[in-house]
Amino acid sequence: MEQIKNGHASPLILSAKDVEVKFNLRGKTLTAVRGASLDLYEGETLAIVGESGCGKSVFTKSFIGMLDKNGSVTGGEILYRGEDLTKYKTEAEWLRVRGKKIAMVFQDPMTSLNPVRTIGEQITEVITWHFGTEHEEAKREAIEILKRVGIADAETRYKQYPNEFSGGMRQRVVIATAIACRPEILICDEPTTALDVTVQAQILRLIKELQKELKMTVVYITHDLGVVANVADWVGVMYAGQIIEYGTVREIFKQPAHPYTKALLQSLPQLGVKGHELYSIKGTPPSLFKEIHGDAFAPRNPEAMEIDFEQEPPKFQVSDTHWAKTWLLHPYAEEYRKEIEAAEAAHWAEHAEPAEPFDYGAHAEKLLQVKNLTVKFKLAGKEFRAVDNVNFDIYKGETLSLVGESGSGKTTIGRAIMRIYNSNVDGSILYKDRPITGRLDRDKVKHLHMEMQMIFQDPMASLNERAKVDYIISEGLYNYHLFDNEEDRLRKVEEIMQEVGLSKDFSSRFPHEFSGGQRQRIGIARSLVMNPDFIVADEPISALDVSIRAQVINLLNKLKRERGLTYLFIAHDLSVVRFISDRIAVINKGRIVELAACEELFRRPLHPYTKALLSAVPYPDPDLERGKELLVYDRAMHNYKDDAPIWTEIMPGHFILANEAELAIYREELQA
Amino acid sequence: MESKKMPNAVLNPLKFRAAVFDTINSENTGFSNYSYWRSTIRTFFKNKAVVVLVALVFAMIVMSIFYPIFSDVDPTAVSLFPLDWNLRPSAEHWFGTDTLGRDIWARAWYGCRNSSLLGFCIALSDVGFGMIAGALWGYNKKLDPFMIELYNIMTNIPSTVYLVLLAYIMNTSFLTLFISMASRGWIVEARFFRNRILSLRDSEYNIASKCLGTPMRRIATRNIIPHIVSLIIMEAALCIPYSIGSEVFMGFVGVGMPVDAITLGNIVNQGRASFTLHPYQMLLPTVILCIITVAFYVIGNKFADASDPRNHV
Repeated sequence: MEQIKNGHASPLILSAKDVEVKFNLRGKTLTAVRGASLDLYEGETLAIVGESGCGKSVFTKSFIGMLDKNGSVTGGEILYRGEDLTKYKTEAEWLRVRGKKIAMVFQDPMTSLNPVRTIGEQITEVITWHFGTEHEEAKREAIEILKRVGIADAETRYKQYPNEFSGGMRQRVVIATAIACRPEILICDEPTTALDVTVQAQILRLIKELQKELKMTVVYITHDLGVVANVADWVGVMYAGQIIEYGTVREIFKQPAHPYTKALLQSLPQLGVKGHELYSIKGTPPSLFKEIHGDAFAPRNPEAMEIDFEQEPPKFQVSDTHWAKTWLLHPYAEEYRKEIEAAEAAHWAEHAEPAEPFDYGAHAEKLLQVKNLTVKFKLAGKEFRAVDNVNFDIYKGETLSLVGESGSGKTTIGRAIMRIYNSNVDGSILYKDRPITGRLDRDKVKHLHMEMQMIFQDPMASLNERAKVDYIISEGLYNYHLFDNEEDRLRKVEEIMQEVGLSKDFSSRFPHEFSGGQRQRIGIARSLVMNPDFIVADEPISALDVSIRAQVINLLNKLKRERGLTYLFIAHDLSVVRFISDRIAVINKGRIVELAACEELFRRPLHPYTKALLSAVPYPDPDLERGKELLVYDRAMHNYKDDAPIWTEIMPGHFILANEAELAIYREELQA
Repeated sequence: MESKKMPNAVLNPLKFRAAVFDTINSENTGFSNYSYWRSTIRTFFKNKAVVVLVALVFAMIVMSIFYPIFSDVDPTAVSLFPLDWNLRPSAEHWFGTDTLGRDIWARAWYGCRNSSLLGFCIALSDVGFGMIAGALWGYNKKLDPFMIELYNIMTNIPSTVYLVLLAYIMNTSFLTLFISMASRGWIVEARFFRNRILSLRDSEYNIASKCLGTPMRRIATRNIIPHIVSLIIMEAALCIPYSIGSEVFMGFVGVGMPVDAITLGNIVNQGRASFTLHPYQMLLPTVILCIITVAFYVIGNKFADASDPRNHV
């Protein structure tokens, strides 16, 4: 290979040059990939980072000829060991490469496995198909591979169907099918997005081990910068169908050159300083139906230069291993670059001090008290407790975060407080010292609807697709006739839209015309119009893109300051809630296991589950991520047979679910 | 160290300074102007067969409405002269006359009108009652055991036995036929709508409405019905050929409309009696019946496909 090796130790294996992919969609042409270039070297780990719709999946799918029917590679070349893959026409040609040399692991393990065949058959099939191995031989090999990906009792598991596996186990099986042919390149398309954080950490560790063992090149496609920091040697940042920056993981995280990469890192709540605004990227990614002039990021970049709107920037080398496509690196821009850097440094110096923590002194007033809350559901005739004997208080003006994995019952608690369930709720919930469970008279219900509101997780599902924004926002107003006349209503809607940062012209549009972040703001406006005191925010940012999250977090914090709101913030990611919460409650299998002030919980986690969660959450800093030790929590470690756990305040403000024996250990830990 | 892909244009150093930041423009990017109904209609009419069938159905409806109004041929006029009986198709009688000398062309359109009317009425009542029952059923868990039993009983009794029995008890008339068919069809529709409403009921936007205290009536009219309009259209379209087919079958068994009533069922039945001697008498009504059945069936199914957003490519 003649290529300059630019810090790469091994030979080039795949090289994509100026790849362009177009789709035909409803009569229009969508250019999903606009001349992206990428080199892959043997044994390396590359992560491609980007927001949804930036073309990262499409780009890598073009390596194995798996584009949807209405799409095709219309330009550039993909050289794999000297052979141009874009010249491949027939399936037979692709099958020589796909699965055998380049394999792929997809996001959702359920859709990539065949539900009506045993997992063993599915792996065996891959082996016999590609190598023509005898069935018995292939079966033996399949069992070996299953053992290798960490599936215990592989002989029995071989005969089971995908639905008998948990999400993490299923993903292990998918990985097993992918590595069955010992591919040279493994492409992992958001391999852990559908999984819980603790499972995610285990899967990432497994892929890393397999890579070392089989000497594979691994490409991760992800939007999670924490995952990138954990796994990648090299990072390519993708925006609007182009790779705009490429370098080693340390270079990207420590000295980002492109304004988009910088903005992306600054807008991460994990890296924000508490009490200050997060840096937020304005607007939404560009529509790829239109032709893009100049730098695609320019319209969203407040520091863009005039040239950014006119000409597409070429690649500029920052160092041997690091390049970026931005005019800022041009010698002409040197002065301006220094100006920006100085302004940035000044900004950080000003915002270095975190705000004072929330005052839980004598003035703190309990707004909501949850006592012995239990929510039962009937599932296939069996009763099961989604929430089991939960106790906590929420003080006026604070943000209490409820953190747990999927199925832990965190959303159920939020919905129980919002009175979504009727008969299956036990225990008491007091709002302003008055019980709000059970039957209430009309007037009281009206008051509760006006004082307590909810924000939902999925901005796509939480808005009525067939109603205009105007109706969606004024729904609450209509219900209790909270306006004098039509003019008054329109004025109220306008005010709220302005408050959440939406133009008032949007009110006659339908929800599908908006991006995720804008839809989430419509949802926030809908609940704010009731002028509530207390808001249950059910994972309001987890379905949003990284660049959009900061907008919503800032908005929630601003509303809290200006309106004196109290939040119950439900989330699954501990590192994100650190930025916004005053106190954090950790929930596991329907029981709150630990509750403490935010910093206290991060400094001195006591419960083993909290510790495991903290160790599993990826943090967007490669230096921290690499040195981290992964802790695994197993419920069996508790001995609750004779000594039942009780909800105890082990220190003022620090609650924990533990039995006598454990409490003694925790107290010792606190003293040390 | 710049890469070789440097543009040829000479760069202006003055351009390397801050540009004006347009906040509104930055918000204005990723919009799509996708519209559900526009896409549904476009996908629906993309299919050539659908265009032809819709045109055919439209023409037939126009014919069966306007022919009885503008034509002066009496479809019941019986001729006493045997010479007028069983005439072959000619310029005067386009499709000939039947055993009593009645014009088949005229009778076919009158019959088409009556049968379609019956079909539409039944579709309307089945889908209408089915939807109301389905909504109640979907929203009320307590109704579940009762409704499921009712559904099982009603769908497990063979429909022919039931229809024939009812038609025997009451006098044969339009109303009898309507009652016997409509009393049974709604439950199938109810179950269909119940399943759809059940999945809509627990979606996040409905929970949001619940949190805002939206009354049931508005949830139904604003949140539920707009989402199932396309299903209602589809179900109604599929109901019509089934009803017309049932009417023909009842006429065939002899418990349909009274013999003097003009319906497709009666005409086909009379044509069948003299089929061995005069096969042309059955031709026109059978063709009309086939077109109606096939057309509505295809239209209903294609509309169901087109109303699925996943097919909006």
